[in-house]
Amino acid sequence: MEGIIADVSELSSGDRVVYPNQGVCRITGRSTKDIAGQRLEFIEMAREEDGAVVMVPRGKVPSIGLRRVASGDQIEGVFHYLAAQYDDPELDWKIRHRDNADRLIAGGVLGVAEVVKGLHSLSRIRPLPTKEREQYDNARHLLVHEIAVSLGIEPALAEDYLDYALMPPAGTVFKLKPPPKPVVLPMRPRHKVVRTDAEDEALELGELGIPGLEDIPLAEGAAGEEEGEGTEAEKADGEEREEGAEEAVGAAEVEEAAQPPPARKKVALAPKARPEAARAAPVAAPAPARKPEPAKKLEPPKKPEAAKKLEPAKKPEPARKAEPAKKAAGTRVKKPEPKQEKKAAAKKVAARPEKKPAARKAAARKPSKPEKKPAARSARGKKK
Amino acid sequence: MIRIVTLEPYDPEDLAALSRTLYQAYGLGTEHAGSKPLPAEAESDDGRYDAAKILSEVEPIKTFADDKVLYLTSAPIRVKPGPLGEPPSWCYSIFGGDRAVLSTGRIPARGASESSIDAYRRRLARESIHAVGHLWELHHCYDPRCAMHPSWSPNLPENPEQNLCTFCRDKSERRIRMSKT
Ligand SMILES: [Zn+2]
Ligand SMILES: [Zn+2]
Repeated sequence: MEGIIADVSELSSGDRVVYPNQGVCRITGRSTKDIAGQRLEFIEMAREEDGAVVMVPRGKVPSIGLRRVASGDQIEGVFHYLAAQYDDPELDWKIRHRDNADRLIAGGVLGVAEVVKGLHSLSRIRPLPTKEREQYDNARHLLVHEIAVSLGIEPALAEDYLDYALMPPAGTVFKLKPPPKPVVLPMRPRHKVVRTDAEDEALELGELGIPGLEDIPLAEGAAGEEEGEGTEAEKADGEEREEGAEEAVGAAEVEEAAQPPPARKKVALAPKARPEAARAAPVAAPAPARKPEPAKKLEPPKKPEAAKKLEPAKKPEPARKAEPAKKAAGTRVKKPEPKQEKKAAAKKVAARPEKKPAARKAAARKPSKPEKKPAARSARGKKK
Repeated sequence: MIRIVTLEPYDPEDLAALSRTLYQAYGLGTEHAGSKPLPAEAESDDGRYDAAKILSEVEPIKTFADDKVLYLTSAPIRVKPGPLGEPPSWCYSIFGGDRAVLSTGRIPARGASESSIDAYRRRLARESIHAVGHLWELHHCYDPRCAMHPSWSPNLPENPEQNLCTFCRDKSERRIRMSKT
């Protein structure tokens, strides 16, 4: 993906970067700390909108999806995408939830826009369930701020731009260019799901926010494929967990060792963090090879492999266990929270198991109506 | 509290009604804090007023921490065009900030009949709730019945409601509570 940061050496103080699910941050410096006998280097940054301090161990940088703020061309591509015809929303919540989590982590600014537009399109059919309503708001927040930073404008104006594209007044005609190619999502092994009426009903209940159903936790490793589908958000990662279950344990231990407790404590004190953002719906770990395909899709399965080699950022291949945004990838946004929660979060922070190569092959997504072209374009559309 | 500042004369009863509705929407004291001239520096070549400049150039009023100021003008406003052109903005707010300006010129004419005045007041209230909502970091909402739904949306009913949806109301309450601590 364009703009991804592979190593801290690419960063200098003052640089602005996007930390997936957290927002635009400004690099403030580096530091080295001795933690449990280990010397760890951290890159330090401050989230722009609230000054929250974020410290990322150097080794973590490639896996958290840190990237440069979108360029003007990328932003323009986003608007041509937003204003283009709506695709049919993904109706299977498991796929939708997982894909959206992937988009937010590794899809760049276009991925965030896809989440906003996708959920928006779904909202035209039915109200979003609570978790996705929050995810919609969080994605909107991230998108609005990145547009604002990239274009140097007020976020509220960025939001007007966004909704001018998404919900133009009747009679508006935009001169649109072909939108950028959709974010390429990894293809995973999928079992055929045949949903029964009873399950659909259960799902509806969950969506209506019936208490009790919302809070059923998903047991580790439960695939959730055929079982009662209580809620959309909570269980969406079932499939992934199953996939990576065995490897997860080992990786987690390594991770724990690499990030001794003192470090956690140190970085987990927080001034002011946006609870809205932190409360983001569960998101998946940084996705593997995810580069939008260069030109015309010739051999969908091969591209990602090539892309992967070109992207050092993706080296320490994290697996795809979904987890809440605030627990993302070993880094923390300093923020006051109860101790137990901190510990729990720290535990979960473990690196995700690597996925099997077979599962990593990306598939070209169904293209939307107009012919897609790569994102970067500089000409502008005009409203008539 | 929320302070309404008019940039030209408005009907006092309209303002009183607006204050009541804003109070209901956000649970914060709301008053008409006076009138200021529309800053001439904000006028652009096409006769419209640059919204960002209105906010930066308008004479200050006395405020206290956490006050939100809503400027009302019937003058048409303009905003900087974006990648798809200039959006049909009704208001311009400093997101999470302390001031916003609403152009009431886009509201259908007030007229003289009871029903047209009522419709005007409802729309004035709705758009004011919207502009102030951005000051509490509310984003646009997909629900056309919610005041945070874009003001120009084709899905907006003719006489839109002057309420926030549950999601936006909850979020505003959280924001207001946080700002108080
Ligand atoms: Zn607005
Ligand atoms: Zn709403």
